[in-house]
Amino acid sequence: MTQHYLLRNRDVQDIDQFDVYEANGGYAAMKQAFETFKPEELVAMVKKSGLRGRGGAGFPTGMKWGFLPKDGRSRYLVVNSDEAEPGTFKDRELIEENPHQLIEGIIISSYATEASEAYIYCRGEFRRGAEQLKRAVKEAYDHGYLGTNILGTGFSLELKVYRGAGAYICGEESALLESLEGKRGNPRLKPPFPAVAGLYGGPTVVNNVETICNLPPLVTYGAEWYTSMGTDKSPGLKIMSVSGRVKRPGNYEIPLGTPLRTLIEEYAGGLLPGHTVKAVIPGGSSVPLLMPDQLDTPLDYESIVKAGSMLGSGGCIVLDEQVCIVGATARLVKFYREESCGKCTPCREGTYWMTDVLDRVEMGKGEPRDLEVLADVADNIAGKCFCPLGDASLGVLVSALKHFRHEFEAHVAEHTCPMGARLYDTVNH
Amino acid sequence: MIQLTIDGQEITVPAGTMIVDAAAKLGIDIPIYCYHQALGPLGACRMCLVEVEKMPKLATACTTAVSEGMVVRSKGPAVDKGRRGVLEFLLINHPLDCPVCDKGGECYLQDYTFEYGPGNGRFQEPKIQKLKDGPINEFVLVDQERCVLCQRCVRFMGEYVGEGQLLLEGRGVETVVTTVDHVPATSQFTGNVIDLCPVGALLSAPYHHKGRPWNIEREESVCPHCPVGCTSKVTAREGRVIRMEGRPIPDREWGWLCDRGRFGYDFGYHPDRLLTSWVQGVETSAAMATRQVGQWIQETINQDGGSAVGVIMGGTHTTEEAYQVQRFAREVIGTENLAISRSEAGYLPRALNGTFDDIKKADMVLLLGSDPYDAVPVVHLKLRERWLRYSALKVIGIGPTRLTRDTLPGQDVITAPEQSAAVMALALATQRPEDANVKTLLQALGDFSPSGVSPETLTELGVQLLGAEHLVSLWDGMDPAMGMVLAVLAELREKPTPILPTFGPANWRGWERAGFSAHFEDLTRILEHARDGIIKTLLVFGADLMNEYPDRALVQAAFDRLDHVVVEGVQPPEDSPQVDALLPGATWAEVYGTYINMEARLQVAMASVQPPGQARPVKTYVNTWAHILSHPLAWEEDWEPFDEDSGELLPLHPAPLHVTPLKVPAAIDGDMILITGALIWEMSEPSEILLPRIPALPGRINPEDAKNLGLDIHGGRMRVSQGETSLVTGMSLDPRVPKGLLWLPQRMPGVNTLQPGPIVLSLAKEEVTA
Repeated sequence: MTQHYLLRNRDVQDIDQFDVYEANGGYAAMKQAFETFKPEELVAMVKKSGLRGRGGAGFPTGMKWGFLPKDGRSRYLVVNSDEAEPGTFKDRELIEENPHQLIEGIIISSYATEASEAYIYCRGEFRRGAEQLKRAVKEAYDHGYLGTNILGTGFSLELKVYRGAGAYICGEESALLESLEGKRGNPRLKPPFPAVAGLYGGPTVVNNVETICNLPPLVTYGAEWYTSMGTDKSPGLKIMSVSGRVKRPGNYEIPLGTPLRTLIEEYAGGLLPGHTVKAVIPGGSSVPLLMPDQLDTPLDYESIVKAGSMLGSGGCIVLDEQVCIVGATARLVKFYREESCGKCTPCREGTYWMTDVLDRVEMGKGEPRDLEVLADVADNIAGKCFCPLGDASLGVLVSALKHFRHEFEAHVAEHTCPMGARLYDTVNH
Repeated sequence: MIQLTIDGQEITVPAGTMIVDAAAKLGIDIPIYCYHQALGPLGACRMCLVEVEKMPKLATACTTAVSEGMVVRSKGPAVDKGRRGVLEFLLINHPLDCPVCDKGGECYLQDYTFEYGPGNGRFQEPKIQKLKDGPINEFVLVDQERCVLCQRCVRFMGEYVGEGQLLLEGRGVETVVTTVDHVPATSQFTGNVIDLCPVGALLSAPYHHKGRPWNIEREESVCPHCPVGCTSKVTAREGRVIRMEGRPIPDREWGWLCDRGRFGYDFGYHPDRLLTSWVQGVETSAAMATRQVGQWIQETINQDGGSAVGVIMGGTHTTEEAYQVQRFAREVIGTENLAISRSEAGYLPRALNGTFDDIKKADMVLLLGSDPYDAVPVVHLKLRERWLRYSALKVIGIGPTRLTRDTLPGQDVITAPEQSAAVMALALATQRPEDANVKTLLQALGDFSPSGVSPETLTELGVQLLGAEHLVSLWDGMDPAMGMVLAVLAELREKPTPILPTFGPANWRGWERAGFSAHFEDLTRILEHARDGIIKTLLVFGADLMNEYPDRALVQAAFDRLDHVVVEGVQPPEDSPQVDALLPGATWAEVYGTYINMEARLQVAMASVQPPGQARPVKTYVNTWAHILSHPLAWEEDWEPFDEDSGELLPLHPAPLHVTPLKVPAAIDGDMILITGALIWEMSEPSEILLPRIPALPGRINPEDAKNLGLDIHGGRMRVSQGETSLVTGMSLDPRVPKGLLWLPQRMPGVNTLQPGPIVLSLAKEEVTA
């Protein structure tokens, strides 16, 4: 197992307290950034490090920062802490356990992008996280690390914590901005992209919590350190959230390119005795299944795409042999049916339709043609939605129909769930 | 300009054009629900999927801007499957109640399903159930089950109108369109969502279950209620008007209507509609009444000559009808006493008249006493659209109340009542003190200084008046002096200075075109001559002088003295003992004719139905009278108000500028001063459909005055007294009205018994009703 960086202080008692964080080297990177870097040098360093957005899309962070127009308008940094992808819980640990690390990352990122206002858009359900953040932000203000003329550098930053109202769609950056402006959380038309017209129409950078938390160690150790880990195209570290029937579910920080098998067997301790892997959802609920014969797939953006799935947000759900794939799929599609914002037709209606059909199949009331209908409805959603949510609802379904068609057919033929699972009770106890 | 290819045809369009609009120029129809040119792209419905070369997925034609060399295919297997899929999705939760849906046959969901949709549905699950026929307000119903969530209505109200009274509630498939806080929408423009709705989700309450496309007839028309003259379509069924819709005209009109215009179409079926003829209080046959009036005219001519007959034009009469009346008056009677029923004293020469196109180019808008939202609502929308597209638009209100609004922000120069013209002249003088016309204007003002307007404000206003590139003025016509100042301003500026008159009657330009005088002085002179016994017989067409003329006492005196008062119209005049003959007239939608609006634009309204009862067109009356007077009129060729050279707009004749010195505005003393203004709800013919929306509290006073007078914060009834006269009416609190002023709608019945000036306000005692 390799060293943890973002999670390095997880065992330090009271690391969420300002004094403890600072005593453990916290805010040193911020000061170092102020003293030794000009903003554009920081941007250059982030570009060189190859750091990619950790929210799911994996877009190069430095490039995103570089899109900000130099037109003198004041800029916003918005931190996407609306972590709601089923199976993903890395940002939650980062904000609940070590909020100052995020704040330090925000100060460095704002300094780099010359943003004078920053917002943390915190998932509505993260009550403790929001409280932690608000307290930590106040501590940072009290110590002069936020506010006007921070540490006499002339750099000023206002940071506010905003709690969402419980919509998955607000993890999509433009819906997040709508919600942050007090509007209905529906995604916006792009272009213009947030870098040009984001929050209140101003130039805006939207970055994920984990992405921002990479900034302090990046400043401390430098871009070369970062590229020394991971692969050429996917350098650095990624926190993976492992769940399912493994011995030690939890968050693990791995160098990108680590094989999936290593994550499951070494980091998470392997499956509980007597259980075997049936399939793995490697990157959160919206990505296609990987099969047991694909466990050696390296966990980096490129390899996992080659294997037919995506790294996504790093929510690795291990499904064991007791899981009814039809039931699991029904549950996940239902999630998207509940979370569809309703703006565009295919996502709104398609997820509703698929949920009803999957429920019926799982309950043993399916017909043979239902499987064709499911596949065709999925095809009518694919690539035709306004934002990625519609496609996200298809990842597991389409791969399940491909790899586990026999299980769907058995449900139809036997008029019941062969695994004896009840609806939405995906594990047969 | 960008060149691209759509379905093999090349086209060049401006950069930024969406594929769907480029295709429309080629006559290629791409199906859309959510997209509307006035609202801009949204990308919600996904109906407009097309194939674009080099794009990995299908693209939505409404959100994809054209690019150089782009190759678009609007047909083909992938596009067909995409559209079929979207339609199938739209239909899975759409109720199959087309047979009882008002939109059946006029529905884009039906049309596109027929053209692009799947023949059969595969959806077997239960449909989501939502609210059916719920209220948006008194006029608009919502059927949430039929809604395809295109958001046109929500975006129109929120973004375009700026009154966000509709919203999406709920999420995903449970999303519904409803009103904010579930209270009725109160905007002036709610009815437009019915036209905007591509399916049967938003319905007209008064049209609900009244007609089907195969048993109605739709005719092109023009709204007759205010000088905007909105282009519309009239729906008639079995000889009855049952609906009015907006009529878009490419590159000119979106087809918006205000609720007053859209839902006020039922005035022809009002229980008070004049359907029979009356002579001296006795109901009689049409033939008898017409003959009797003919004899009166004959007697007057015989005794005092033709010039003892006065003719006044009003109501909803068309230009052609006015022409017929004026030919009869001039050729048969031999009188020149022809005037239009006016409520304001101002007049605008055609040469200064602007068009709505000017609003699209304006960099500055002057609201001169006129709040377009109240007076000419659709012009408010036009101004707002200009502001949305050109955020630097300057809007300046000049008048005794605030005239800008949250939906049309700007600055206000609050003047004391009747001082606006002087303020404008003084503002011009700060910049051009040596100009001869300006000097003439100021000649008699002496050291007059306007109350409440600082010299700095005057200078700033002067700079803006002369600096604006394209200055559009909306003028309420109340003060003739302002007309003169505007003429001077137009002369001074070497840049476009179009003026849009917001005063009525709706078709005054048309009647002027037909040969009637639109000058208020001519109307006053006729009434004075009647009062003085010089004019003996007055023929009134459509006008309700008792309520329309600003000084009711003069009308009363004239009516008392006249030998014969003959009124042709739709509604009997409110107070009509002196009216000797009442003749039922045909009206809008019952006659074909031309209306000329505040742009001086000629627009044709078709006849949809037959006049009811004894009601008949004015031509029938004048022909009969012409026969009685042994001077039949020949109508071989119908007269056309259109002019070959000027087409849709009235010909321009340069108007000579006559500048006379402005009078020093009279000082008005009093704690409370009455001012009046136009309110669309109180204008034109009464409608039963509109009743629930006629403001119960039409008067407006400043909240501080209200507090001091003991008026409830939600408003209430007050007595307005002036000398011996008084009037009880509802008052609302309005911070846009300065302290010490009471604003009343000028056309509210009874208001013209009071004169603008000092009044006394008191709480009205609760009247005990039996």
